[in-house]
Amino acid sequence: MVTLQQLIFKLSEFWTSRGCLLQQPLDIEMGAGTMHPETFLRVLGSAHWNVAYVQPSRRPADGRFGENPNRLFKHQQFQVILKPAPDEVQQLYLQSLEACGIDLRAHDVRFEEDNWESPTLGAWGIGWQVLFDGQEITQFTYFQQAGGIDLSPVSVELTYGIERFAMALQDVDNVFDLEWGAGISYREVRHRDEVEQSKYAFGQVDMPAAELNALHRALFDQYYSLAEALLRSGLVLPALDYCLKCSHVFNLLDASGGIGVTERMAYILRVRHLAVAIAKKWVGEDKEKENL
Amino acid sequence: MDRELLIEIGVEELPAAWLPGLTRQLATRLDARLTEFRIAADAQAESFATPRRLTAHVSRIAERQEDRDETITGPPVSAAFGSDGQPTPAALGFAKKQGVPFDQLTRAQTSKGEYLAYQKRHRGRSAVDTLPDVLAGLLRDLAFPKQMHWDAMLDDGRGELLFGRPIRWLLFLYGGRVVPFTIGRLPAAAGSQVQEIASGALTYGHRFLATSGRAGRSIKVRTIEEYQAKLAEHFVVLDHAERRDRIARDVELHARRLGGRVQLKEHASLIEEVADLVEWPGVVAGFFPTIFLELPAEVLATTLVHHQHYFPVVDDSGRLKEAFLAIVNTRPTDERVIAKNAERVVTARLRDAKFFWDSDRKVTLESRLERLHTVLFHKKLGSYRDKAERIEKLARWIAADVFNRAEVADQAARAARLAKADLATEMVFEFPELQGTMGGIYAREEREPEQVWKAIYYHYLPIGIEADAPPSAGQLGIAATTWAVVSLADKLDTVAGLTKAGERATGSGDPFGLRRQTHGIVRVLMDLPELTGIDREVGFRQLADMAAATVPPTVGGWDSDAAVTFARERVRFALEQRGFPDTIVRGATASSGDVVPLRARRVAEALQAMRASQDFQALAVLFKRVKNIARELNVHATLDRQLLTEPAERALLEELDARRPRIQRATQSADYRQALIDVAGLRPVVDRFFTEVFVMVDDEKLRTARLTMMSELRDLILSLADISEIVPQTE
Repeated sequence: MVTLQQLIFKLSEFWTSRGCLLQQPLDIEMGAGTMHPETFLRVLGSAHWNVAYVQPSRRPADGRFGENPNRLFKHQQFQVILKPAPDEVQQLYLQSLEACGIDLRAHDVRFEEDNWESPTLGAWGIGWQVLFDGQEITQFTYFQQAGGIDLSPVSVELTYGIERFAMALQDVDNVFDLEWGAGISYREVRHRDEVEQSKYAFGQVDMPAAELNALHRALFDQYYSLAEALLRSGLVLPALDYCLKCSHVFNLLDASGGIGVTERMAYILRVRHLAVAIAKKWVGEDKEKENL
Repeated sequence: MDRELLIEIGVEELPAAWLPGLTRQLATRLDARLTEFRIAADAQAESFATPRRLTAHVSRIAERQEDRDETITGPPVSAAFGSDGQPTPAALGFAKKQGVPFDQLTRAQTSKGEYLAYQKRHRGRSAVDTLPDVLAGLLRDLAFPKQMHWDAMLDDGRGELLFGRPIRWLLFLYGGRVVPFTIGRLPAAAGSQVQEIASGALTYGHRFLATSGRAGRSIKVRTIEEYQAKLAEHFVVLDHAERRDRIARDVELHARRLGGRVQLKEHASLIEEVADLVEWPGVVAGFFPTIFLELPAEVLATTLVHHQHYFPVVDDSGRLKEAFLAIVNTRPTDERVIAKNAERVVTARLRDAKFFWDSDRKVTLESRLERLHTVLFHKKLGSYRDKAERIEKLARWIAADVFNRAEVADQAARAARLAKADLATEMVFEFPELQGTMGGIYAREEREPEQVWKAIYYHYLPIGIEADAPPSAGQLGIAATTWAVVSLADKLDTVAGLTKAGERATGSGDPFGLRRQTHGIVRVLMDLPELTGIDREVGFRQLADMAAATVPPTVGGWDSDAAVTFARERVRFALEQRGFPDTIVRGATASSGDVVPLRARRVAEALQAMRASQDFQALAVLFKRVKNIARELNVHATLDRQLLTEPAERALLEELDARRPRIQRATQSADYRQALIDVAGLRPVVDRFFTEVFVMVDDEKLRTARLTMMSELRDLILSLADISEIVPQTE
């Protein structure tokens, strides 16, 4: 039995032994590991870079009060960035599955077309979802663009869904039945978090809905102004922090149904505008450094 | 000596949907390049594709390019010789420039006169030297629905090489020997992990399956026979048809073992698709809890088929069983190991669907209309709520005033009003491909009559997300008329509304699907009697005008003629799809005022039936003259019959008088065949008229009278079809 934490160890061990730096999660709420500067910024520019890290990913709309066996407010991604994408990347990836104890011969592992796109990050790529006996366990993407900028060289991003992968390895039907560490279940570690975060995300808060909405809108605006100011000051990484804050608050607003269709699009465009400006600034600085 | 050419482009997994097109492209593009490089004029390449390889093979290719002769012209012969008959300096200079003695020059006749010329022979290069250019061209030629950067380049002067997925190996053999070829890598990426791809004599078998040793090792081959045999040995079925047939056979076997069967005909496109997801197809049976059989069959099917590419198993009466068959890309050692994981995915999805099914039914469709306010249709045209109100109005009008079926107007209007309500259900949010279908099912659950729920259920057809045909008479039953009404109302509102809002279909793109939507309208109108039993030739213009008038005037202006022209193109396309030759299609759609799809179809059928008749063909030729000469008429005059006295013109006039009412009667009763027969009968008098009568006489009054008769004849025939279009091309 591979526990969830052992799975993280094995993946970390495998990828560090293949030349990846082991990074840590960003200490800010985000919807996907792609938004971590180790991905979003490192794939820009020409410097080669290989890195792996776990990133807890919050998706308020997917919150199910800890009642759904498959959906979570917060799940964990194991993220690998290889820049440039090595020729052997598919083989490497399959070896990482073997390193986690999978007998490839006994299963049906497939690469099925699934191109990834993030309108808020101005990013997209070509790739697959990796299906393990019909279950998606990894998103495999050759990045083509980030922050609206064409990428050269091309990076590959491997995003393992830790919970789904562990469910297949442990043969359990309910995410909360996963064994996190020896004798300790996912339920014990995370269930209360799921219940409370879902209640928050869907507005079960001691405050009138309109007021909560207004508060979130105000937060968005404040974070946005701060991000802009930081960007004007050339502080790219702090600006990205507050861009991510905006993105998360927007997701909360969206989950609670507090915004209409047109307004929704306007919010997405604002976050995208920030993300693109941040990427441009980063690349500019990147270039200056190389010229020194 | 001619030798065999074998190319295999080894790639990372290509999308299944691309493989049929790529297989065709490989053969045609390779043929074209071989012709262009003068290696093989009629190569007839055969081609294959699996997710991981694109293979092309030509059995015989010459060892050299054909030689090519070029005629290089020099000075004109008149300036090439002096009065003494000796070559002039210009003539000698030309010979010198070509590097040949003067007496090797020849003469060439051109449109400008006779010139000195030199027949230059270009010797062909050897195939081995030319084939790299052929492969480079082929790699550039292949078109993908979406291509990617992967840090690759060719040294053909065009730099970066984009492709559908990264290329990992190249098998490139001519006569069993490797043709040297290299795909380079961009400097930004090149290094120990990112290297050139050099051609070789190696291929690779299945990723995971091997009879002995580790899977995925390289395999050396020399010939196509060896290549195919080795691949088969290493668990790769190269040919799509073979993979497909194997899947069809295996799922049937498995289903029978489960006491059921698989509806292979219904799942024809699924079989084609899964055959391109695997190199070595295998079948695994899985099960789900019987409680999910309470779900509508459509929901079960979409979960299994659309999302997982699994085959549903049905019992003998066609009812779904709690089992499915998954196609896997392996030969399972233990089926249950894979099945358990597949079952977990299916069960999770069905559990979600069950949740949506239970919660959606707590709210009526009618009360969902409110929520449609928040679902935007188009920024200028408002929400789906606004659309629902418009199509409700349109549907009532089409039923009562266009189809003359006032008795179903209320039901059609109700169906139209509710048609979009399912966009606000959780089920459709999660499974968008069930739009329409779910609305129909929920309406049925709410005990709406068949005329209403089926009209909702099928209203996206004949252009649904996956289906590309109208529902059958059996499926529609008593709901045929309401279905046609709602289907038309929805599409007309989309087409007229978006057009009014300034959206256009252009050569390069049609983001709102205006062509497709118009095509849907045309298909319903074209087969209206067969689909609904309503025998009416409905023109496009009045429908589009009414739909445009239902949209608020603030949205934009409306150009009725442009809309009709756009629809006429769709009618032509629809007729071409039905196999009518171009000439008949144009003949049947020549009328410029309106386009009437059903009438165009019937006229096309009549033209098709008549075109062998000799009278008709002769008349078609004469009609071209009629049209040309009638164009000379530049005044509008009523025909002064007294002026027409020549026997031949009297004969034509009388024949016209006699036949006109018959032709008009036949046309009005939609008997276009009879109308064309009557038209064809004009042939002898028209023929005689042109032989005996000179139209363009100096006497203006007489000329005008003759031209007026010609223009009446033209209009009578044109009101039916432009038969001049079907003149054989040789005329």
